[in-house]
Amino acid sequence: MLEPLLGSISCERVLVFLAAREEGYAREIASFFTTSLAPIQKQLDKLEAGGVLVSRTAGRTRLYNFNPRYPFLAELTAFLTKAISFYEQDLQDRLLLNRRRPRRRGKPL
Amino acid sequence: MISLAGLSIGELAAFVADHLNEKGIDVVLVGGACISIYSENAYSSFDLDFIATGMTSRQKIRSALAEINFVEEKRYFKNPETAYFIEFPSGPLAIGDEPPAEITTLRYSTGFLRLLSPTDSVKDRLAAYYHWKDQQSLEQAILVARDHPVDFNEILRWSTNEGFAEVFNSIRERLAPHQKES
Repeated sequence: MLEPLLGSISCERVLVFLAAREEGYAREIASFFTTSLAPIQKQLDKLEAGGVLVSRTAGRTRLYNFNPRYPFLAELTAFLTKAISFYEQDLQDRLLLNRRRPRRRGKPL
Repeated sequence: MISLAGLSIGELAAFVADHLNEKGIDVVLVGGACISIYSENAYSSFDLDFIATGMTSRQKIRSALAEINFVEEKRYFKNPETAYFIEFPSGPLAIGDEPPAEITTLRYSTGFLRLLSPTDSVKDRLAAYYHWKDQQSLEQAILVARDHPVDFNEILRWSTNEGFAEVFNSIRERLAPHQKES
């Protein structure tokens, strides 16, 4: 949907994923969209170099989120939130209705 | 060409900015280098972060810097004569979600340097403190605020706009121990 503006479907995937989830890592985003890791990582690198995203490490994982100092952050997230509302309901649900509360390790289903 | 070895960070930044300006590339120095200049190296930075204020291509910047022997290595431009290196972060020139209130110009023997004002440099450091609780950034803001005229009412207005008025009021005494709130 945003590819004509953003120039790449991978860039759209990264941005909408982070707009919906607030935080994510390359393999998680690639897996969510059932796509290759390399183009997702390339977009994460590009957006971080451009100041749109920032990252931190947690163990061996590099987690990305929006740079709170990015001057167009409010406008960008409003734009992405609107774009998400135009996605098919199933995709919106998968993006937005993920479990965020803690789950004890080893807990049976 | 002059020797770059031995130039202070301000002299070197002015030399580079003047050269780029001659090539039609307007730049403003931002970030830690401004703190280094305003604190007279009480805080040391080797990273010269310039924002190109026009729509200048990376290729044009690369060609202009090559003329003064700064060669691109990954995201940085390096010159064997100096430990300082140059970076061009993506614009826009902004403090939080606002353009800077004013740009300061300093004159050196090597040229003119446009950089963030002391007030905007304090805001720039406080942004890092507000968002990431980075204590080093707060200490750098204090270094600038204590030695330069800084508009604390403007910083309060900006902090309020960023959603951090309470945090600013809690650190105001450290930034300006002898100033009364107005």
